[in-house]
Amino acid sequence: MGEGTPFDLDALRARLAAEEGPRLWRSLEELADAPDIRRYVEAEFPDVVQASPVDRRTLLKLMSASLALGGLAGCNGGDAGKKSPLLSQSHNMPGYTPGVPLTVATSLSLNGYGRGVLVKTQEGRPVKIEGNPLHPASLGATDVFAQAEILALYDPDRSGAPLQNGSPRSWEELTNFIRPVRNELVVAEGRGLHVLMPPTSSPTLHRLVAQARQLFPLAQWHVFSPIDDDNRQSAALTVFGRDVDLAYDLTQADTIVALGGDIFAEEPGHLRYAADYQERRRMQGRELPRLFAVEARPSLAGTRADERIVLRPREFEAFAQALAASLGANAVPPPPDVHPSVSRLAGELRRAGSRSLVVAGRELPSGVHALVHAINAHMGAVGTTIRILEPVRPVMSDARTLDDLVRAIAADQVSRLVILGSNAVHTAPADIDMADLVRRVPLSLHLGQHRDETAVACHWHIPEAHPLESWGDLRAFDGTVGLRQPVTMPLKPALSAEEFLGLMAGQNVDGRGLVQATWREAWGDGFEERWARSLENGIVEGTTSPAIDVAVRPEWVPKPTPPVASAGIDVVFVPDPSVWDGSYANNGWLQELPKPLTKLVWGNAALIAPETADIFGLSSGDAVDLTVEGRVLRAPVWILPGHAPGAVTLPLGYGRERAGRIGNGIGFDAYALRPSQRPWIATGGIRATGERLPLISTQQHHSLRSRDIVRVLAPGEAPARETEEQPSLYPEWPYEEHAWGMVIDLDACIGCNACVIACQAENNIAVVGPEEVAKGREMHWLRVDRYYGGDPASPDIYFQPVPCMHCEKAPCEVVCPVNATVHSSEGLNDMVYNRCIGTRTCSNNCPYKVRRFNFLDYQGTDYTPSPDAMNPQVTVRDRGVMEKCTFCVQRIGAARADARVEGRRLRDGEVATACQQACPTQAIVFGDVNDPGSAVSRLKKSARNYALLGDLNTQPRTTYLARIEAPMEKG
Amino acid sequence: MSSDAQAITSPVAEVPLSRRFGAIWWAALLASGALVLLLGYTLVSVSLLGVGVWGVNIPFVWGFDLINYAWWIGIANGASLFAAILVLRRHDLRTAVNRFSEGVAFFAVICAGIFPIFHLGRPWLFYWTFPYPATFQVWPQFRSTLTWDFWAISTHVIVTSLLWYVGLIPDLATLRDRARRRTTQTVYGVLALGWRGSVRHWAYHQRAYRLVAILVLPLILIMQSTVAFEFAVTLVPDWHETRQPLHFVATGLAQGLSIVLLVAVLLRWGLRIGRYIDEGDIDLLGKLVLASSLVSGYLYIDEFVFALLADRMAQEATLNRMTGDYAGLYWAAIVYSIVIPQLFWFRAARQSTVAGVFVGLSIGVGIWFDRFSIVVGGLQMDYLPSIWRNYSPTLVETGLFLGTIGLFAVLLLLFVRFLPVVSMFETRHDEHQEKSS
Repeated sequence: MGEGTPFDLDALRARLAAEEGPRLWRSLEELADAPDIRRYVEAEFPDVVQASPVDRRTLLKLMSASLALGGLAGCNGGDAGKKSPLLSQSHNMPGYTPGVPLTVATSLSLNGYGRGVLVKTQEGRPVKIEGNPLHPASLGATDVFAQAEILALYDPDRSGAPLQNGSPRSWEELTNFIRPVRNELVVAEGRGLHVLMPPTSSPTLHRLVAQARQLFPLAQWHVFSPIDDDNRQSAALTVFGRDVDLAYDLTQADTIVALGGDIFAEEPGHLRYAADYQERRRMQGRELPRLFAVEARPSLAGTRADERIVLRPREFEAFAQALAASLGANAVPPPPDVHPSVSRLAGELRRAGSRSLVVAGRELPSGVHALVHAINAHMGAVGTTIRILEPVRPVMSDARTLDDLVRAIAADQVSRLVILGSNAVHTAPADIDMADLVRRVPLSLHLGQHRDETAVACHWHIPEAHPLESWGDLRAFDGTVGLRQPVTMPLKPALSAEEFLGLMAGQNVDGRGLVQATWREAWGDGFEERWARSLENGIVEGTTSPAIDVAVRPEWVPKPTPPVASAGIDVVFVPDPSVWDGSYANNGWLQELPKPLTKLVWGNAALIAPETADIFGLSSGDAVDLTVEGRVLRAPVWILPGHAPGAVTLPLGYGRERAGRIGNGIGFDAYALRPSQRPWIATGGIRATGERLPLISTQQHHSLRSRDIVRVLAPGEAPARETEEQPSLYPEWPYEEHAWGMVIDLDACIGCNACVIACQAENNIAVVGPEEVAKGREMHWLRVDRYYGGDPASPDIYFQPVPCMHCEKAPCEVVCPVNATVHSSEGLNDMVYNRCIGTRTCSNNCPYKVRRFNFLDYQGTDYTPSPDAMNPQVTVRDRGVMEKCTFCVQRIGAARADARVEGRRLRDGEVATACQQACPTQAIVFGDVNDPGSAVSRLKKSARNYALLGDLNTQPRTTYLARIEAPMEKG
Repeated sequence: MSSDAQAITSPVAEVPLSRRFGAIWWAALLASGALVLLLGYTLVSVSLLGVGVWGVNIPFVWGFDLINYAWWIGIANGASLFAAILVLRRHDLRTAVNRFSEGVAFFAVICAGIFPIFHLGRPWLFYWTFPYPATFQVWPQFRSTLTWDFWAISTHVIVTSLLWYVGLIPDLATLRDRARRRTTQTVYGVLALGWRGSVRHWAYHQRAYRLVAILVLPLILIMQSTVAFEFAVTLVPDWHETRQPLHFVATGLAQGLSIVLLVAVLLRWGLRIGRYIDEGDIDLLGKLVLASSLVSGYLYIDEFVFALLADRMAQEATLNRMTGDYAGLYWAAIVYSIVIPQLFWFRAARQSTVAGVFVGLSIGVGIWFDRFSIVVGGLQMDYLPSIWRNYSPTLVETGLFLGTIGLFAVLLLLFVRFLPVVSMFETRHDEHQEKSS
């Protein structure tokens, strides 16, 4: 379907019927003729009978049909391919041209909230994920987890067959086993049945759970996620008397005070918030917004803040109390020792009035959240900078917690345990021996993508379909529904959670049917058209949650602040920026992704402040014994400037034993220390051990050393222009058509790493593994440098993405003896892999050191992703060859081909590099610098524009826009 | 041939023609042969697996490969420059040392040549640096220092081997004449190119020998400068200095002389040919070593002064080389190649075998540290602090380096065994002159 072609379902259907109809029907007839047993299994597990390896042509055919007819073909057609001639099948499909990628809109979940994505599939294989510009949680951007789903899809460690006590079983055996169990449970009305699943926003899942509960009224449903929002929920219940979700509108905010957390990385709407904040900063004619981050560990929002106030975790409640008191948001008098910054922050908030916003991170105690609600309500921010919504992940009525499950198992009330997509054995708090508890249940069943820690504790393990293989729906942070549709044939026979619940509820096990049923119910008439449109757009129009009218209950009074204890250190648990709660531990891209602040890869570390390190005589990599409630954990420390003293931050998700071949045994397991009563901030002890545990970081020097690398300007400040043109021995290059260039806005960059992993996915960049990274051989074409300035206790933190600069006078070009790196007619510094003999002298002469060398054969290692995950448009590099950023030359080529076919010039914005496309804040702009009207040309005229190491006269094509920092009166 | 000539030639010629090689020779050959095996192993592993078996990384894309390459080239250059000067000046010393200094030069070039080929990511494509008419009409990049290096090193191999071989021809003829076995006669005969010792032969020979020697002079400057250009031409702050070629030429000369001294002292001791390499020769050589090390010292001072005058980044980079993580290498270079050779102010030290070996080795080691300090220490503090890292060699690299030392030793051992180490015809010539005067 071309862009702008009106969607005519009937015409398409007619055309499809004329062309492909007989073949499709033939396959169904064949199915009908199949033996009884086969039909039986088919009816029970239609996804399962096609355990055959995916046939590419069939897949293509179905892919295209799925796009054209809104997923009509679905994914149940393997037989057609098997029994039909291999040739000339896909060519007649509407919307499909061989070699031209198809893009499918779908939704991916993080912590139960949806982010809309567009999946690019090449010949039926998903190869790249981009953000869906129509989706409110994405606006076209992605985070690292969404990018990495491609690799998760092709993960060779994903389970492919049901297991009973560790032995593979056929799906038939599973069916035969489960059917009587289910029948018994139906008769017993679900007594003894307990289901554990993570919180979800999916309307279909909620519908199916409700249906299943009708069938099993006595069954109990437990909801558990290690990254829970319990403190928020209980605060909402106290303050508003009901559960709510918050959606912030940062485009409206003039002053933002962020207490803990990370609105740019850990909130359900983090991509949107980062984008909105930047949009607000870019607004002409309005003063720059002010962001104050009050935090214990530097967050991405904190690095971007105008001022960071470093606070010990235990001091937050008093701080919030004082802030509320000095704003008059409640009647409680401020605590005696008021933090010196409180009155200034209060002044700033008051100045902004209803355009102020206070947000609190999920790790903070519910008292803080309650006070934040009160402050926002008092300031009138509700309605301008905050919308209060119905909970996007509604709590199922009568849902239980993990603790309830633990008690029930201990009381021997659980006879059947079903764990849906949760790895509770790994992620449960330390005082719950989940593995043991699960083993005590007479019959336990686990649905999961991996044979993980929970799978081995359960009697049965059922493979779960990857989100890119199955049907579903998800709500975004603001309630907008995005449909999830398969973008590939199932790579392994598996069930989705929806299908499993459908089975339980006695419905058809057809994922699409289940999701359709949900929406048929909601939409009534005009379903087909709306369904097709929703699938095509990736969002369901008109589903954004309306703001609800809630007010602070008059009887609410904040609890008096408990006195700040002085003993022990605060132990804060946080989701890891690379593996989140541990579910991404087997993902090579994410494991090798340098974490934004520490630049650590392949492992986690206990983050401590320089002062803490001084007190205990520690240096980065020293092992310490951390003690919380009598449990001891040995972990290496990492000294993180800007971290609060007297506190240690433990990223969750590492130390997994059964993540798979990549994630096993990497890092330490912070869950082993996490108390269930205080899962976010606990009090503990720290003791040096004298042992060292190696940590791998990709950046070893952190100071700018007063070199002109990252420029900072005051708002409106125009620096003296660069010195006049420097002389050069070589003549200027002539450019008749395009001359590609890039601008990276350091004011917008939040260091989130989305560009790094997008580049890796787009350009088939190898994963080299921990040993090689430790030697300094990581392959990322684009790195994000992080520098510190000022006082280590509260440093200024700067991020600088560094791709190839594509220098006009490229130092690499003249030193290559074999002309393997050359200047293109459009100004690119091209790398000719075939010609490279590997002298590496180009890297020596590159002042930016952006070239990466294949020191060994990185395509045949244990870390090498499946070849299916490779982008076929990009050469896979051999050993002994230099490589580097190409400005996504394959995308330029594809756009040029399109333009030529249509007989026009390339339009500005038509070519977007992978890094640019992923960036939530649009910090990266790419285009033709030969066209004075292009966005990139306009930005290059900005007073903030500067060339990195410009005095070397390399004349880089990639330039930077200086960061803007409003001068702050500190005090 | 006169009886006088017989008497002079005998001890020198006896060695190659003798059937008994001696236990020390065998032991030395065995030891260095083992190192050659190690060389083979390391070369095979780097060819099969890639240069990742070394400690190289980004930004240290070059490590031992370039350090040792530059080091061996230094030896080759110093030795052949020394030999060429002796030939051209018809200096007395030449009879004693120029044959094996030519040999040392040639073998060192062979060792050096291993590195640029095997350090390539894809060594089997090394010939792409050669300007041959390829189907795609792609030519080498003539602005690249590595292309210059290709020409320099291939010229170097040709000229050094010519210098050595041309000098050998009359002596090969002598060996042919004195050989008793048919095969030996044939081998030496072929190598002697039909030399009959006619006046015309001698005239041509002298002309050719001096011509090649003259070629060596500019070549040495070019070769060392080309190695230096590989660093000086880049943008790396510490490397980007016009003084770099001078530094390489001068320190390379000191290094070459020291290795010639070392080998001379060892041969004198090992082959008992004190008559041909007499104490005066050794004394003169010692003085040259001392002088060249003083020149190196001057260049170190010059480097420091240059650094103070340079722009900030270059200054920081050079000072970092003197005070940073790799400062030990820099100071070791000064101690070994400048401080210790000051022993040679004393005549007794110059004439002592032990001191000769000690100082000869010391300068060799010192210059190796110097090259290490430049290649690694100089790169450490580049422009962007985010990519600053460290480099340390792996066992494979170390094995490769030891292997080239073994190869050098094996070649030297075979040389002393099968070819006359002291020029017989020139010694005869000198003796005749002495007699007639």
